[in-house]
Amino acid sequence: MSARPIIDVSKLPHHGFNTLDPVWWGNNFLLAIETTMFVICIATYYYLRQNFPLWPPPLAQLTAPLNPLPELGVATANTILLVASCIPMIVADLAARRGNRGATKIALLVCLACAAVAVTLRSFEFGAVKFRWDSNAYGSIVWFILGLHMLHLVTLTCETVLLTVWAFVREFDMKHRVDITALAVYWYWVVGIWLLLYGVVYFTPRA
Amino acid sequence: MSEANVQSLNVDDAAPDYEAPEPITSPIVPTEMDLARELEELERTWKRPGGVVGWIIDTDHKAIALRYIVTAFIFFLFGGIEAALMRLQLARPENHFLGPDLYNQIFTVHGTTMMFLFAVPIMTALGIYLVPLMLGTRDVAFPRLNAYGYFVYLIGGILLYVAFLMNTGPDAGWFSYVPLSGPAYSPGKRVDIWAQMITFTEISALCGAIVVIGTVFKMRAPGMSLHRLPLFVWAQLVTSFMIIFAMPAVMLASSFLASDRLVDTHIFNPAEGGDAILYQHMFWFFGHPEVYIIFIPALGFISSIVVTFARRQIVGYTAMVLSLAATAFLGFGLWVHHMFATPLPQMGQSFFTGASMMIAIPSGVQIFCWIATLWSGKLNVKAPLLFVLGFFAIFILGGLTGVMLASVPLDLQIHDTFFVVAHLHYVLIGGSVFPLFGAFYHWFPKWTGRLLNERLGRLNFWLMFIGFNLVFFPMHQLGLHGMPRRVYTYLPETGWGTLNLVASIGALVLATGVLVFIVNVFWSRRAGAVAGPDPWGGDTLEWSIASPPPDFNFFNIPTVQGRYAMWSMTETTPIIRGLSTHKRETLVTSVLDAEPELRFEIPGPSAWPFLLALATAETFIVGIFTPWAFPVGAVLAAAVFTAWFFGDPNYENKTEKDEQRSEAPAPPAGLQPENA
Repeated sequence: MSARPIIDVSKLPHHGFNTLDPVWWGNNFLLAIETTMFVICIATYYYLRQNFPLWPPPLAQLTAPLNPLPELGVATANTILLVASCIPMIVADLAARRGNRGATKIALLVCLACAAVAVTLRSFEFGAVKFRWDSNAYGSIVWFILGLHMLHLVTLTCETVLLTVWAFVREFDMKHRVDITALAVYWYWVVGIWLLLYGVVYFTPRA
Repeated sequence: MSEANVQSLNVDDAAPDYEAPEPITSPIVPTEMDLARELEELERTWKRPGGVVGWIIDTDHKAIALRYIVTAFIFFLFGGIEAALMRLQLARPENHFLGPDLYNQIFTVHGTTMMFLFAVPIMTALGIYLVPLMLGTRDVAFPRLNAYGYFVYLIGGILLYVAFLMNTGPDAGWFSYVPLSGPAYSPGKRVDIWAQMITFTEISALCGAIVVIGTVFKMRAPGMSLHRLPLFVWAQLVTSFMIIFAMPAVMLASSFLASDRLVDTHIFNPAEGGDAILYQHMFWFFGHPEVYIIFIPALGFISSIVVTFARRQIVGYTAMVLSLAATAFLGFGLWVHHMFATPLPQMGQSFFTGASMMIAIPSGVQIFCWIATLWSGKLNVKAPLLFVLGFFAIFILGGLTGVMLASVPLDLQIHDTFFVVAHLHYVLIGGSVFPLFGAFYHWFPKWTGRLLNERLGRLNFWLMFIGFNLVFFPMHQLGLHGMPRRVYTYLPETGWGTLNLVASIGALVLATGVLVFIVNVFWSRRAGAVAGPDPWGGDTLEWSIASPPPDFNFFNIPTVQGRYAMWSMTETTPIIRGLSTHKRETLVTSVLDAEPELRFEIPGPSAWPFLLALATAETFIVGIFTPWAFPVGAVLAAAVFTAWFFGDPNYENKTEKDEQRSEAPAPPAGLQPENA
């Protein structure tokens, strides 16, 4: 056996970024699953629209605002915030790659602040829909889409909290630097998929 | 050590454009003593935990996979018992052995068990066991995700059966169509149990898919570029991709159904603008690929068995791989053929008829490739091959009725009759269960170190083959005579009695065949012939190591010089050295060409996956009764994740700290004192 030629790998690194890292792939496939989820949600949204002569349907009670369209204000503010939040995340991403701990910590804190505000704003978006989840099928699917995306916002926030705390109190090691770049991919995905959902939920009724 | 000693890996058939991985440094030739020490260290590092706690925290892919296989097989037996009960009930007209309500529960639980608790998990389980071994690596890419998937699956299965034993078994069919399964027509908790069980099994399947893809992409032995991937692994890979794109549909469908039932949403409620047909679209957008998710891994088993028992290379490797991929793509374009009886535009129906007929092409290509391989090979007719030959006969019949059912006018006539029952069992049992039993006979020696008994194997095969045809062939005729499926009894005047009796007798024969298999397993585990590493002369890397494999799988990560890793292996095939023996390290390689990239530490035993599965269980099971289970579950899961992230004694980023301690992987030969 020892006569067999040998390929010595003892000088290979332990961690690498992007395609080198199995976790990067695992993360991306999880996102592929979630993307499929949202695509099917969107398909459901348009499928259900066929059943309504007016989309959204007229409000059942003739209360003050007669306009059943979802309000744009909070959602648009949130969208702008989310897109802007990519900037500190890009900074954190690049700093983690370079191994710049200070910049990573600050950028992650900014990201966390953005995430907290985004989650708060999202909770007001449900009210802006003007229908409850149990009003009709329109209300149900819109709440579902917003809720599913909110779930991702919350998960993203929790994950960011964990990695930020790690960057502050534990070592700034390669494994967790790679994790931060994977977190960044998740962050971009959450924002990117939101742009699509924002268009569907808020502009389909206006089209 | 000179250049001459280091072999180029590019020795064979595949791809002149393939660059062999360069050796990183000149190696140090280890002595016997080094090897003995390394072996001892590897054994200690990869040692699996014992006892009850060990069962919970173990993450070894072989252990998890065997658990999956045993669990799924037990569910297979449960499903089989339910089938036998139904056959008893239908054996003669106006039988009152089972009442209508119990019958509804039994056929629903039978279908649900066989599809979700048996077929999908056991197919993935064989992949989880064999893929890392065929790729020449030490574990799957995400062992803890793997363990989590198993626990979630187990909990889902227990949920279904506990509910069933409490007379709360789902009773709206394995696809639980609305409005029957909606809040108006199915009050009580029966359908909720079904919907949540779906969630559990789909989470598990998705975890399994990511584990398999991650492993196939990143953990292959150097030299195993994609065009040298064994067909078994290709099949697992294609299946995993199908799972990723199909399973979310059913998870959403069952979530919508559950929320319609539990919190009054109206997605499927036509009175409030919802849509019942939408449910069928969502279900079958998953449900048809599901058939292929069950079937494609079986194609992988068949390829492995055919190559081994024909003792030659496969005919048309590229055609086989392309057929697998084509089947997967077409599989997503067929779902509407389950819905021909709904009011859909005719143009749309024609499209799906075309796609349904087209899928016969890649299946045909593969069958011809196998036949050519067998025809030109030196056949070694043993039990595994028998089951494959049985597959040909049964599956081709099922495929033919499939082409018939793809035609809308015929489908409308025999929709929801026993003809469909016959068709689907021919396809699923012929297409999957027969190859699966072949796979059991083929790989049992690898799992246990002993061969299954050949004579019992033949008896098992013939009983199953004859029994199967006796049960299901008459059902074609019954269907054409108009016997609807899912009725608990029928009148004597219908004239269906004789054929039903034949089918019921067949069920007895089939069950005896399965019993023979179980006897064979128990007998062979104790007294079977000792297998040795490679009882069949197999071509893939799992046959290069002991049976059962050691905890660390490969002492040295191998390299691969051809499509048939074992057959192209020579004295000069290089091996990989330089991985740590102090921690669970394995080699990560590039996606396309499998060039060495990283020494990657794989996480070891851990209780967190189990605790996370418990949090998941709380969420979905208590969720049947109160929506508050969801925030509570979220908090529990967050707590588990936090503890997992910060408090893991086994895998707390030891890598960099260990760097100095074990940087030199093989200290100068012979100078290292015995390890205390």
